[in-house]
Amino acid sequence: MDTEVDRISSLPGNVLDQILSDLPIRDAVRTSSLSRNWRYKWSHIPHLVFDTQCVSIPSEDQTVGKNKLVSIIDHVLLLHNGPIYKFKLSHRDLLGVSDIDRWILHLSRGSTKEFVLEIWKGQRYKLPSCLFSFENLIHLELLNCLLKPPSAFKGFRSLKSLHLQSVTLAQEVFENLISRCALLERLTLMNFDGFTHLKINAPNLQFFDVGGVFDDVSFENTLLLTQVTIALYEKVKNDQNMSRRSSCKLLSFFVNLPRIRRLKIHNYFLKNLALSKIPSTLPKSWVDLNYISIHINFNDFEENAVAFCLLKSCPNLQEIEMLGRPEEKAVVGPLTGLWGDDNWKSLFGQLRQVKIAGISGTRSELDCIKFLLSNSPVLEQMTVRPAPNEGGLEMVKELLRFRRASTRAEVIYMEP
Amino acid sequence: MSDAGMAVVKPEMKSYIWLQTADGSIQQVEEEVAMFCPMICREIIQTGMGSSKNYAISLPQRVNPSILGLILDYCRFHQVPGRSNKERKTFDEKFIRMDTKRLCELTSAADSLQLKPLVDLTSRALARIIEGKTPEEIRETFHLPDDLTEEEKLEPLRNITDDPRIRLLNRLYARKRKELKEREKLKDVEVEEERADDRSVEDLLSFINGADGDSKGCRTSKNKKKNRRRKDQSKDSSSNNSNENQKKESDALPSACPNDEVSDILAASPSRTSNFQDFDYADIDDDLDPAKMEELDREVEDFARRLNSDWPERMQEILSLGPERRLVSMNVNGSLRRYSGLDRR
Repeated sequence: MDTEVDRISSLPGNVLDQILSDLPIRDAVRTSSLSRNWRYKWSHIPHLVFDTQCVSIPSEDQTVGKNKLVSIIDHVLLLHNGPIYKFKLSHRDLLGVSDIDRWILHLSRGSTKEFVLEIWKGQRYKLPSCLFSFENLIHLELLNCLLKPPSAFKGFRSLKSLHLQSVTLAQEVFENLISRCALLERLTLMNFDGFTHLKINAPNLQFFDVGGVFDDVSFENTLLLTQVTIALYEKVKNDQNMSRRSSCKLLSFFVNLPRIRRLKIHNYFLKNLALSKIPSTLPKSWVDLNYISIHINFNDFEENAVAFCLLKSCPNLQEIEMLGRPEEKAVVGPLTGLWGDDNWKSLFGQLRQVKIAGISGTRSELDCIKFLLSNSPVLEQMTVRPAPNEGGLEMVKELLRFRRASTRAEVIYMEP
Repeated sequence: MSDAGMAVVKPEMKSYIWLQTADGSIQQVEEEVAMFCPMICREIIQTGMGSSKNYAISLPQRVNPSILGLILDYCRFHQVPGRSNKERKTFDEKFIRMDTKRLCELTSAADSLQLKPLVDLTSRALARIIEGKTPEEIRETFHLPDDLTEEEKLEPLRNITDDPRIRLLNRLYARKRKELKEREKLKDVEVEEERADDRSVEDLLSFINGADGDSKGCRTSKNKKKNRRRKDQSKDSSSNNSNENQKKESDALPSACPNDEVSDILAASPSRTSNFQDFDYADIDDDLDPAKMEELDREVEDFARRLNSDWPERMQEILSLGPERRLVSMNVNGSLRRYSGLDRR
């Protein structure tokens, strides 16, 4: 009767593609044994994802598992019929290099738009040159790879999103890659080597996130950049002479980020910014910046100065987060007056939320809190969480005392 | 105080859109709800239809009244701008709970109305229903016909499938493929293999009784047939070296025992699919000796039993397959009939 009717097989092709694409590849291919009608329905799915969940091989011997995986992928690629828009390979058993080369070659003949390759173990996998001929690539994600494009490589002209993690590439390769992908909107770099200077020349870039070890970051032609996260994992060498002479790094860093809205300066990057002349105020302000998160060593004179200068140049901040970076507590004299006497100037007319964490109650920290409280007339909440084994009644007493510009402000002390 | 005489003006005059489903029934719907559907929205804007009962917008055939009701519920909820993501998600989760049949209808209707968010939602729900089920369960849920021939169904797709019947057949095929490989190797050495049936009775018996020897024997004759066919069906290929070859072959028969099946699965390259099927069946010829035929039948029956399938029926099905396949039908009595199609290469 009506209930016995097969309603699913007659769904339009694009809908079936969507349904099958949503299944783990194993289930999708198995539909070929459902009925004659379904024999090749799966072969048109535009997304192929081979990861540890989708292709679970009961782990016997590692080599056996790997061979099975290779066999499965070979099969699927061979039986697949139609464009492959998204290809993801991220399997823990994957070790064979020549196999991956072969698959990338196969994909390069098509019109792949999204390519994700994650090599979980072993050395950096050297990407074959055919990868760089993916004409239609929009999203590229690589983990544990080595990039050495051919000299004729003119960039990925459609690439909008690039995510590189644990990669090796030379300085020129990196710069060319960024500058030649004119449509690039999102760039993420985590743990890289082979280059130390991040020159970002990307007119369409909106989102930039870097975490690693590098000497410098400079932006050029990045007028659309609105979200930036910079985490410098290692301390830079403290060259006193150099820092006195070089121009204000803070300014040169920010001058090409006029529309920035969200900024995170994490790990040691603030220290890097502090290694230069620090003016008391910057010549311009960043009116679009509404969120800032800083890792700061409150015991370092320069870092305090830089942070102070920076915050003063962002009048429209809505949310501030400051995380103390516990380091050598070698205090060079009493750090007072760093946070100025610029109180009651309503510097932060929009500030609503402040989070301070990892502090121990030193003078500079408390001055900072005082500064923020007295300059934020619409503040709603400030949470203060001391570092582990720090804090205590003394800090609370001080916090209690501070005058607040905002009548609605809550100051919440949280246990470390 | 008394407003009896005064006409009360409604605070808001809602405007309605008229929609007509394929069965002819017409209903009216608040304008903002209807506009949430891209297809209806376009109709209204481009053609101006829908403003009155006579000019109701005709909806695609895949939208029946009850499904339309569901879709409009969806639109009614989601077109309100102020809802949080969480609210929307909760609504979606509750909304999607319906039987599979309605879900399919809803997917189809949403697609015809180009309501992408609903198509995404229903597609995902259908995918979750399919995921993790065995083929039988899926067929049951969606009422799919089980119309693959045994042969098609049991092609060694890949090692991914863990249906025990498929695994079983994979094993057999793997074994046969292995034998084929041996044969190929031997063929390289020898020019032509012609097999006259000169074997002793003991040999024949051992073929009948032993699992592997039989298959290999079959394989031999199959290969022979293939060679012959290549030479335009000429059946007078030299039988000079037949005896010699025969002996070599017997010697070379490796002792693959059933225990090797597991390793066969692992080692087998499952890339031989339909071609292999052709090979299997097509090479069984009328010229096979009775013992061979018997053996084959037994194997096949064994399969049939294990597969719980009605073998003669299946054979009819195979028979009725299109001309692109060369197949052989066998009935239980053991007599062979050859079915050859147009493709004779």
